[in-house]
Amino acid sequence: MNSILNEFKSTSALCEEELHDSLYDWDTANGFALPTFEFPAVHNLNRFMKDITSASAPCQIEIQHGTTTLAFKFKSGVIVAADSRASQGNYVSTSSVKKIIEINPFLLGTMAGGAADCTFWQRELGRQCRLYELRNKERISVAAASKLLANMIYRYKGMGLSMGTMVTGWDKTGPKIFYVDSDGTRVDGELFSVGSGSPFAYGIIDNGFDFDLDVPSAIDLGKRAIYHATHRDGASGGTVNLYHVKPDGWARIGRWDVEDLHWEFQDQPKPSPINSSVIG
Amino acid sequence: MVSRVDVPKGGFNFDNYQRNLILQEKGFSLPKPTKTGTTIVGTKFKNGVVLGADTRATGDTTVMDKNCFKIHYLAPNIYGCGAGTAADTDKITKMVASQLELHRLATGRESRVATALTALTQFLFRYQGHLGAALVLGGVDVDGPHLFSVSPHGSTDKLPYLCQGSGSLAAISIFESQWRENMERDEAIELVKEAIKAGIFNDMGSGSSVDVAVIEKGRAEVCRGMEVPYPTIQKVDSYKFKPGTTAILSESFRNFVTITEGDAMDIS
Amino acid sequence: MSGKNCVAIASDKRFGVKYLTISMEFPKMFQATDKTFIGISGLATDVQTLMERFRFKINMYRMNEERDFEPITLANMVSSTLYERRFSPYFVEPIVAGLDKNNNPYINGMDLIGCSTTACDFAATGTPEDQLYGTCEALWEPNLEPEELFETISQTIMSATNRDCVSGWGAVVHVITPERVITRTLKTRMD
Repeated sequence: MNSILNEFKSTSALCEEELHDSLYDWDTANGFALPTFEFPAVHNLNRFMKDITSASAPCQIEIQHGTTTLAFKFKSGVIVAADSRASQGNYVSTSSVKKIIEINPFLLGTMAGGAADCTFWQRELGRQCRLYELRNKERISVAAASKLLANMIYRYKGMGLSMGTMVTGWDKTGPKIFYVDSDGTRVDGELFSVGSGSPFAYGIIDNGFDFDLDVPSAIDLGKRAIYHATHRDGASGGTVNLYHVKPDGWARIGRWDVEDLHWEFQDQPKPSPINSSVIG
Repeated sequence: MVSRVDVPKGGFNFDNYQRNLILQEKGFSLPKPTKTGTTIVGTKFKNGVVLGADTRATGDTTVMDKNCFKIHYLAPNIYGCGAGTAADTDKITKMVASQLELHRLATGRESRVATALTALTQFLFRYQGHLGAALVLGGVDVDGPHLFSVSPHGSTDKLPYLCQGSGSLAAISIFESQWRENMERDEAIELVKEAIKAGIFNDMGSGSSVDVAVIEKGRAEVCRGMEVPYPTIQKVDSYKFKPGTTAILSESFRNFVTITEGDAMDIS
Repeated sequence: MSGKNCVAIASDKRFGVKYLTISMEFPKMFQATDKTFIGISGLATDVQTLMERFRFKINMYRMNEERDFEPITLANMVSSTLYERRFSPYFVEPIVAGLDKNNNPYINGMDLIGCSTTACDFAATGTPEDQLYGTCEALWEPNLEPEELFETISQTIMSATNRDCVSGWGAVVHVITPERVITRTLKTRMD
């Protein structure tokens, strides 16, 4: 009887000890650890993931493959804009997706590819950035943040992650845009557009772009680029969401239904392809 | 000069075959043909044959037609229920019906069920099962009542009661448990109705209402919607839109004129 | 879609390759006879080929018979033309809609090998077929007057195409009544 009692006593003591440990001794390695996933018990994981995420799979787990997102730098910061359509095959599953993810008050991410992948990893990025701030007593640079994201998702390369994202913000070095995707690409740049509608958006931006654009003109350019992409690309549509990244963080400029934009733009004279400054 | 307006020679055209193969390889998906996904049955009774069918046509999982007619006319004394690819059962029965009509005109005699059966099986066998038509063939001729089933490959069965289609398992259970020899007309109709209803309720590919055809010596009666086992729920309110709800960009009218006298128009 | 002594037929105007929209003025319906229209959805090349073949056959019939096709005869002609290619089909799904000589509505929808479905209410084909059937079932009701029918069919096709990535970009509606054909182009979403 006593032995049983002792056994219980010692166990409970151990429990308390463990509890104590976990509460007061911050395990840096585990606390900062990246989220990990259980892998299915299959021989070839990459092949398995490819099979179940392909368009011909019995249940397609990825949604929102068609998208138009863009970001460009100009003299007063960065314009970030995106459409809002989510599709599964030809079916429009919703037309009010927020494809611009607010990572923290200074960082924005965009969403193209798998919606779940983008939201999850950028939420995780937000957590990492906050931890960085707490430890270093200063904001993380856009370069570092985008590298954190790129490194995180690189561990899952070829396992079915699908994301094409732009991490934008304003840090000590000024406005920054980094393109990060699930293949492991991470590049710094002035202008990016991601998604099935990107060729159309590039067309409009390249035509109307000028680094010295004033803010209203830059906003209008971003709006037009997304609208034109939604017009020609079947997988993009809904509304234009637009943000402006400024030295003191981003500001949400607005949201416009592309149907209204279509009839609005149709009545306006077409901007000349030669003199780009007419836009706006 | 040879006219380019040739009358088609008949038979199938395979012009698009290679093209379609290439399109499919490139991932262009073929629209799905309509299937009947059916319960069709037939039984003999004392002095005739009763055929029955449900009225649902499906395309993949969509109900394409809630009230289609699956009991096809072949001759005044012969009818056939069709299951499988809807276009095939439609067209094959139409083709055989016209053959039989010509045969009747040539011989001046009533068509025999065996003639229809032979025409159908020979035609289906020629296409080696690629025509997806399964039929329950029933009729009354000089030799009395006959009931056959025909498979897409051209094989036949001669039985006192028959079921085909995706609901055939449900329907056959009714026949197996309740069928008797030398039934009265009304008994046979009732049994056929029960068998079709078993298909309607237990098979997802079958539905809507029960069609029945009764063929007796010198008399054939086809009854559309003999029984509607479950009612369509009526809408309680109206969803009419007010005029002007829909924004339009342009509008044009094309009025018809009625010519009451004289020539239509001087076109000299 | 049928109404009281009238029928309406509607189509979108998009022509595209996969998700790329190439044209927003692509005709998918044509007037076969005074009171009958044929609408064809599917592979664009086949839509055009068949429109021409049907036009040819309709004109030949008119010259040979000195009368116009009745809608039911026309539907049979369309159906046979498709079934002729049972094993190498055209990738199309046509709809025949019109008024017969007694001004009764006639509607016929077909699959790609000519299985014709005569409907007393409505027929729908194309990529947003499921969506169309859903909206039709909800919005259609019997004995609609021409103007009511116009609103119903317009709202139906707009709701359905707005849930489909690859159709829309404008729509045309023809309402056929014993007195006239009313043709309207709709102001729709363009994305």
